[in-house]
Amino acid sequence: MKRQNATRTLVIAALMLSSAALFGQTATGVINGTLINKNGITLVFDSDPAGVALGNSGTSAASVNFGNISAFGPLSGGVTRPSVTVANFTVQTIFDVNVIQGGLASVTYTLTANLAAAAPTGFTYKVDAVTLTTAAQTIQANGTYNTDVAHNLGLVVLTAAPGAGGPAVGSPIAATINFTATAN
Amino acid sequence: MKKVLILAVAAAIVMLVPSFASAQTANGVLTVTATVQGSIGLVFNSDAAGVALSSGAGTNAATLAFGNVSAFGAVSAGVVRTVAANSFTVSSAVDVQVSKTNSASANYTLKAQLGAADAVNSWTVGGIAVTSAAQSTLTATGTYAANSNFPVAITVPFTTASGTLISNTINYTATAN
Repeated sequence: MKRQNATRTLVIAALMLSSAALFGQTATGVINGTLINKNGITLVFDSDPAGVALGNSGTSAASVNFGNISAFGPLSGGVTRPSVTVANFTVQTIFDVNVIQGGLASVTYTLTANLAAAAPTGFTYKVDAVTLTTAAQTIQANGTYNTDVAHNLGLVVLTAAPGAGGPAVGSPIAATINFTATAN
Repeated sequence: MKKVLILAVAAAIVMLVPSFASAQTANGVLTVTATVQGSIGLVFNSDAAGVALSSGAGTNAATLAFGNVSAFGAVSAGVVRTVAANSFTVSSAVDVQVSKTNSASANYTLKAQLGAADAVNSWTVGGIAVTSAAQSTLTATGTYAANSNFPVAITVPFTTASGTLISNTINYTATAN
C-alpha cells in the first residue's frame, strides 16, 4: 500500500514537472548597441538666384559656364559686366557656398581657394576681391555654417587680340578652382 | 620601471595630440568655363570744337541739341552755320570712338542712317548725305580707339516756319574689317 502511494505521488510529481517544462518557455538576450557620433564638415556649391545656374548644384563638384563673353556683346543670364577698360573687361556671376557641420563646437569656418593650374592666357580669376593663384588664399575667415553664403566669381579678360597677349577666342576655356573650408 | 611608465605616457600623449590638433576641413571643386568672343563697341563723345552732347556722352546713345537755329540770328556755341540762297546749314562736330577687343581687325567701316524720313531738311554726317532709305558709309577705314570727328549737319529751307522743332535719330553701325 505504501509502495502504491509512493508510486502515485511520483507520477503526479512527474506530470506537474512536465507541464511546467512545456509551458512558458522564454529566452532573453541583451544587445549593447554602440554608436560613435563622428563630427565633421562638408562643403557644397549652390546656384544663386542672381547668378548662373550651376552644373551639379548641391554637390562639392560643381561647374559654372559663363557662355559667350565679350567686352561689348550680349551676355548670358546671370552674368554681369561690371567694368570695361582699354586693357581688360570683367564678367562676373554669383554662386553660393554652403558649409555644413555636425558635432563640432566650431562657430565659423575659414574658406580658402586656389586655382588647380595656372590661369589660361589672358585670364585672371577672382573670388570676391581675391585674385586667385595656384596657392590657397583666404576668401572668408568667418563663414557661417549651414547657410548659403554668396560669393562673386569674376573673370578678368585681357582685350588684346589672340597671339598678342589676349585669350583664345571662339572656344571654351576652362579652369578649376579648389575650395577648402576649415573649421575655426 | 618608472622610466618605462613615463615613456609610455609620453608616447600616448604624442599619439593623441594630432587627432585633437588637426582642424576639420571640407573640400569642393568648381569648374569654370567661358568662351571669349571678339567684339567692338561704339561711343559718342563731345568734340571740343562742337556742341557738347546734352546727354549720353561716352555711351552709344547720345543726344545732340543745336538749340535755336536761324539763318541770321545768334546760334549756340559750337554750332557752325553756312547760309545759301534758299536755305541755311548748321553743323556741329561730334566724335565717334570705336573700340575693339580680342580681335585682330585693323580698322572698321562706319555707316549711318536716319531713323525716320525727313522730306524737308537734309542731313549729312561727316559730309556724307544720310537718309532713312539706306545706310550711308561714312568711312571704310576707321581707326580704332580714337575719337574721330564726324560732324552732323542739317540743312534747313528758308520756308520752314519759325519755331519748328526738327528732330530725328541717326543710327550708326561700325563693322570690324
